[in-house]
Amino acid sequence: LLLRAARPLLAGAGRGTGLGTGLGTALSTAPPREKKRWLRAYLELQRLQAPPQRRSEKPNWDYHAEIQAFSHRVQENFSLDLLKTAFVNPCYIESEEARRRQLGLDKEAVALQLQDNAGLAERGLRFARAYLAQCFEGAYPELPAKGIEALVNFLTSQELVSYVAQNLSIQDLTLCRDFPAPPDVLQRTFLAVIGALLESSGPERAGIFVRDFFIPQLIGKDLFEIWEVVNPMGLLLEELTKRNISAPEPRITRQLGVSTVLPVYFVGLYCDKKILAEGPGETLLAAEEEAARVALRKLYGYTENRRPWDYSKPKQGLAAEKAISSN
Amino acid sequence: RYVRQLQRLQLLFSPTAADARGARQFVEEAAQDFARQHPDVVLYVSPHSGPGPAPVLRAEYLNGTVREELIASKTSEEIVQLATKLANQSGLDIVRIRKPFHTDNPSVQGQWHPLTNKPSILTIQGPRLQPQ
Repeated sequence: LLLRAARPLLAGAGRGTGLGTGLGTALSTAPPREKKRWLRAYLELQRLQAPPQRRSEKPNWDYHAEIQAFSHRVQENFSLDLLKTAFVNPCYIESEEARRRQLGLDKEAVALQLQDNAGLAERGLRFARAYLAQCFEGAYPELPAKGIEALVNFLTSQELVSYVAQNLSIQDLTLCRDFPAPPDVLQRTFLAVIGALLESSGPERAGIFVRDFFIPQLIGKDLFEIWEVVNPMGLLLEELTKRNISAPEPRITRQLGVSTVLPVYFVGLYCDKKILAEGPGETLLAAEEEAARVALRKLYGYTENRRPWDYSKPKQGLAAEKAISSN
Repeated sequence: RYVRQLQRLQLLFSPTAADARGARQFVEEAAQDFARQHPDVVLYVSPHSGPGPAPVLRAEYLNGTVREELIASKTSEEIVQLATKLANQSGLDIVRIRKPFHTDNPSVQGQWHPLTNKPSILTIQGPRLQPQ
């Protein structure tokens, strides 16, 4: 309001002099009557306390233009009908039909001509999971199936997908019953967008899209933050027996402050007198478990100093396998 | 991939006011070119008739921030420059940056802790070999 105070003051002064001088002039050209000064604080309070509205209900909204801008923003060529169906949620269709029935329209007018995004969402989810699983199998060949499944589940989980969708303005474009859109609706819509891209541009472009938006979410995350492992020592023993290495022997390598409240023990795991991994901990058991986790990280190749993800051109083999597996 | 953070630009101006002349010229001459060069930004042009608030360019970003810039008594070129500046910004708040440096990898070989470079308990210190 402070910014625009200059103009209403001018307009008010103009109106005052105008009314004073030209009484016979037509009243239709007079500017709209302003709100009185003592009302402005109350109206401002009303404006601030109003419930949040969807962006589509506020002024200046063009759905078609917004959808086109979305496809340009993501630098993908969508077929606009598929994209529009991708944003339609089942809850929206139900609420719209209920509203029309309440308004008393006939049966034909009640049935909306819109299609759901459930099919697209399911296809998008299947494709994303398969593609991500393939990526991880290629990048970390030592990682077992459960680890890959944990990573893929984390990347297609509700919080992550709804976070990515929010930052791509999908919450403005979705048609759903509640506002603000709940995270599972956003997840379904984003997966439906991936499904629509799969149908319009093919598995290669969709794969690059999934890679560009999901894999950077793994930056800075540790393997065992994502994958809950209850018994790392048992898992380590299994891995070592698979590679025909003898069982590890834990030894204390360093210790500090043993008789204090905060001791630090470094336990090293030795196989045939050669060091495998070393891990710190507060108690000896915790240190041994941490050493087992460090050893597993080294074996699976998911250390902090591994090579960063390769975002160069997609490998040709992936595309062919994708096409075969999706068929 | 690069995703432009500017979602939409709303140009609110009055068709008769004197200080909105630059805005009107921008709409007549440069708005279409701007919209063509930035296909991922939706440009809304809404003239409100009669005397009203000052002409303003409202920018909405993907993370929800809405920034309003006054364009009263600005020429068309200045408005174009302002619009491109807004289009290249992200929606983060414009606050004073406390430090001009930041790193995600503060340590390359591992951060020092009191036990680096200390030999472990298991190292056996034998007698020193004399040079032959």
